[in-house]
Amino acid sequence: MDIRELKKLENKRKMNKGYMWALFCALLWGIWYIPGTIIWAVPPFDAMWINIADPTGAGTYESATAATLVVAVLISAFNALTVIIALLIWNGALGKFGEMKRTLKEFHPCSKWFFLASIFGGPMAILGSFIAIGFVGAGFAAVAALLYPVIGSVLAYYWYGEKISKRAALGIFVIIAGGLTIFVGGALAEISAGNIAWIGYAGGLMAALGWGIEGAIAGKGLDIAEPDVGIAIRFIGENLLWWVLIVPAVALAGYPIFEYAIAAFNPLSILVLAFAGITFGFCYVCWYKSFPLIGVGRGQGIGNLYGLCAVIFMYLFLAQVPAWTVLVGGALCVLGSFVMISEETGDMESLRGE
Amino acid sequence: MAGLRPIKFRLLELFSDEKEHWNNEIVEQMQKEYGMNSNFGRDSLNFDILELASGGMLRSVESKVDEDGVYKKGFLLHKYVITDFGKTRASDACLMYV
Repeated sequence: MDIRELKKLENKRKMNKGYMWALFCALLWGIWYIPGTIIWAVPPFDAMWINIADPTGAGTYESATAATLVVAVLISAFNALTVIIALLIWNGALGKFGEMKRTLKEFHPCSKWFFLASIFGGPMAILGSFIAIGFVGAGFAAVAALLYPVIGSVLAYYWYGEKISKRAALGIFVIIAGGLTIFVGGALAEISAGNIAWIGYAGGLMAALGWGIEGAIAGKGLDIAEPDVGIAIRFIGENLLWWVLIVPAVALAGYPIFEYAIAAFNPLSILVLAFAGITFGFCYVCWYKSFPLIGVGRGQGIGNLYGLCAVIFMYLFLAQVPAWTVLVGGALCVLGSFVMISEETGDMESLRGE
Repeated sequence: MAGLRPIKFRLLELFSDEKEHWNNEIVEQMQKEYGMNSNFGRDSLNFDILELASGGMLRSVESKVDEDGVYKKGFLLHKYVITDFGKTRASDACLMYV
């Protein structure tokens, strides 16, 4: 084999590795919606919702919207907490604490990007997802966020000139068509039933925007940082946002959020939250690892298969039967991802224009 | 290990002399500096170089098969040079380029 062939092979191997990471991300992300749904029914979160929604006990549930929002905040905060525990163990196992300290010290050139990413990824995307789960349902929350690669790839293209080939653009387009089929199908059914949960749909939109912006910002920070370290720093940032700013702010607004936070330290809730932390933490590790290898647009595109994974897992484990629009949309998502994967990548050496 | 900068910062710094360097030589030097002497440390450093290259900060100018096993026998060795984009990012990271 001559050197050109070897080079092509090596490049191909690199791209395949990137696609593999992105695919793992999709699987883990899809699984995450299981604990993300169950947690609402686990003590103390179930009692928390009822007590805030119906403070007089009259069964009128006059504050149901506020209750769902406050519970979503506490669940998101705990999600961030268990994710950072999983990520610190991961970085410890890889022996990367030294690198983490070095990267943290370089706030201005480097770690500021990860803190910025945590704002969009955390209080925007993850809270938005939990709001969508709480108001509409996990299946909807999963597919609503499917639109995030559009935002991610367009931003990456205009901001730092990341190449998007025609093939990749076509794949992204098909995936979006699939996402829209699922999204619009659900919304239409609710509108015809005369009862649409607008806040839940806004949550879905927050998730799509937040994750798209996060991906593009993270790509910028990853230029000069290691992914495992970068993602851990991003979640340190998110934990600070939740536990130093948002949770205390909710408590100051008069909601008993700290009482329920302490009550959350019971075996069942720890088990479910740990499940969420492990799946979400490692889904993020895989996501970030794929970006430098295949680029933000493609990484997010393949990661998008999570929508389909989530629908399958919700059906298998929680017996939530998908509507036909979900099945058609899911099929389109798979098709779009294959359009992207089947691209000939042997000649592609760099993802950026010079 | 006081005073060490993040690995990719240091890698860009090593390339910022604008000369061409073989990946195995850079990896070897980095292994010494950061005390990453295991095979895992070696592969992880090489992966960082790969990431910089795919991010467009380094460009491969020459490749050869590692016949003698100086790095990994039978694998490709790459000679890289820093790109203009790499210089920009290096100066963002407060390295010597201004």
